Amino acid sequence: MEFVKKLQESIKKHFDHNVLCINNTFYKYSDFAIEISKIRAAITDTVEDSEKLIGLVTNDDLQTYASIIALWLEGKAYVPVNPSSPIERNIQVFGMTETKYVIDSSETSLYNDYTVINSGSLADVKVNLEPKEISGDQLAYILFTSGTTGLPKGVPITFDNVQGLVNAIDAEPEFNLVPSDRCLQMFELTFDFSVVTYLFPLLGGACMYTIPKGAIKYFYIFKLIKEQKLTVLTMVPSIINYLRPYFPEINAPDVRYCSFGGGALHSDIAKEWSDCLPNCKIFNYYGPTEFTVYSGFYPYHKETDTKNHNGIIAIGTPQKDTLYLVVNENNEEVDIGVTGELCLGGPQITPGYWKNEEKNAQSFFVRDENGTTVRYYKTGDLCFKDEDGDYLYVGRADFQVKIRGYRVELAEIEFHAKAKSDKKVNMVALDITNSLGNAELGLAVESEEFNTDMIFDYMKTQMPDYMIPMHVRFVKEFPHSINGKINRKELKTYFDIK
Amino acid sequence: MSREEILSKVKEAFVSVLEHSNFQLTDETTADDVDGWESVTHMMIITEVERVFDIKFKLMDLMNMNNVGDLLNTIESEI
Repeated sequence: MEFVKKLQESIKKHFDHNVLCINNTFYKYSDFAIEISKIRAAITDTVEDSEKLIGLVTNDDLQTYASIIALWLEGKAYVPVNPSSPIERNIQVFGMTETKYVIDSSETSLYNDYTVINSGSLADVKVNLEPKEISGDQLAYILFTSGTTGLPKGVPITFDNVQGLVNAIDAEPEFNLVPSDRCLQMFELTFDFSVVTYLFPLLGGACMYTIPKGAIKYFYIFKLIKEQKLTVLTMVPSIINYLRPYFPEINAPDVRYCSFGGGALHSDIAKEWSDCLPNCKIFNYYGPTEFTVYSGFYPYHKETDTKNHNGIIAIGTPQKDTLYLVVNENNEEVDIGVTGELCLGGPQITPGYWKNEEKNAQSFFVRDENGTTVRYYKTGDLCFKDEDGDYLYVGRADFQVKIRGYRVELAEIEFHAKAKSDKKVNMVALDITNSLGNAELGLAVESEEFNTDMIFDYMKTQMPDYMIPMHVRFVKEFPHSINGKINRKELKTYFDIK
Repeated sequence: MSREEILSKVKEAFVSVLEHSNFQLTDETTADDVDGWESVTHMMIITEVERVFDIKFKLMDLMNMNNVGDLLNTIESEI
């Protein structure tokens, strides 16, 4: 695997450079190589070859970063869990991935039911950074994102997916990290944005600066920018929202790149932030976890490149080998200027949600393009393409409807309807248009008829009255569309209301 | 204003942001010691303290504020 080989070369080449600064302590690439080798040795000693998905407790230390690289050199995937999350949730994640081994640098590990590799106290070994043979379809990591209703959703990413990301960033002449760069790494390792904030500095031989747990994030970032003279910032826009009252005090001439992602970047604050970074290129990145962090970017410039829609900075164009497609509800491409759901295709697309065929049927589809079959991921984001070929973000395509002027999330109604029902049946909330042309809420229940009083009494304790469905219909079997989705349109025809 | 009076007003600001009073504030108290005191609530506490004392902190002061004692010192120097 090319990028794993490149990691090996970069670590070797930059032995005397700093790799990480954690809580004011610097570590060199040589220290990193030693930790990686120790953890590797422990993996080969402890873990069966067939076990590929290894748990990783994401502490803020050298060993945790070394564990990722050690696992990759061994051709294994990391399944990160945040030590601050409830242990029940973390165990649920390991249950879903059938993980038996956990790498944990904590002094006392809580994972007593697993075979734990304590990466904080391993014996010295000879440095060994030689990667094993890895096939591209093997997994590099699985991240779990919170499902709005109960179980977390697993997103597996393969070595080929990560290679796709590396190829795309390498092809971008505007962005190039060098060993003298000092890069912010503010993300928890269970958050996919962290992949770009550790991978690219490591490939470039640069140094990462983390935020200690317990520090006040916003001020600590400023402290790092000021005292450590960071040169590369990768952030979510909420960081600058909090720092905004202090912008007049910020002047950071050393920063040369500032990348945003993970949320809408607004043009007014982008301009003000840009004034704080006089020598900086600003990138507005877009991309979901399902597409290996980034799928493309817009190069923002406060004077020359300020394209936006309703004040939200454009997401620009797809990166190398990535395809963008804006579709209507039938997954058909819409015209330039027409808003639809943004879909992504290319080498960075996840093989699909972890053991979740139903969600996969909803979120992915294939399309014939010039004789080849392209698989697309539906992002749930509404976008349109303009005449220049730039994509602009409009909003989320969730099942959001307007009832009496209130914005209502249909998924929320379904969640509360199902929560206390002793019958475990499927329920779908729908907006039905009455004869006056107003929307009313209906609840379709996939079942024989039963008494719903308890469900409704419970919903009334959880939601405002305008969110309580006014109509209930029992349907023995919900109609499905060809791609496996519940056919909401047809379901609506069961409600013949005046 | 005495340090005790300042502390008492600061405690009120904490209670109003964190919506509980299950903590003691001394000079050595840090975010680790108080339930719910983390990055986002810290920003809200700072805004509330600025409002109550009618002051505006400097980013340089906020950046080096590590415990409640540092906060009280900065307030004393501003009012």
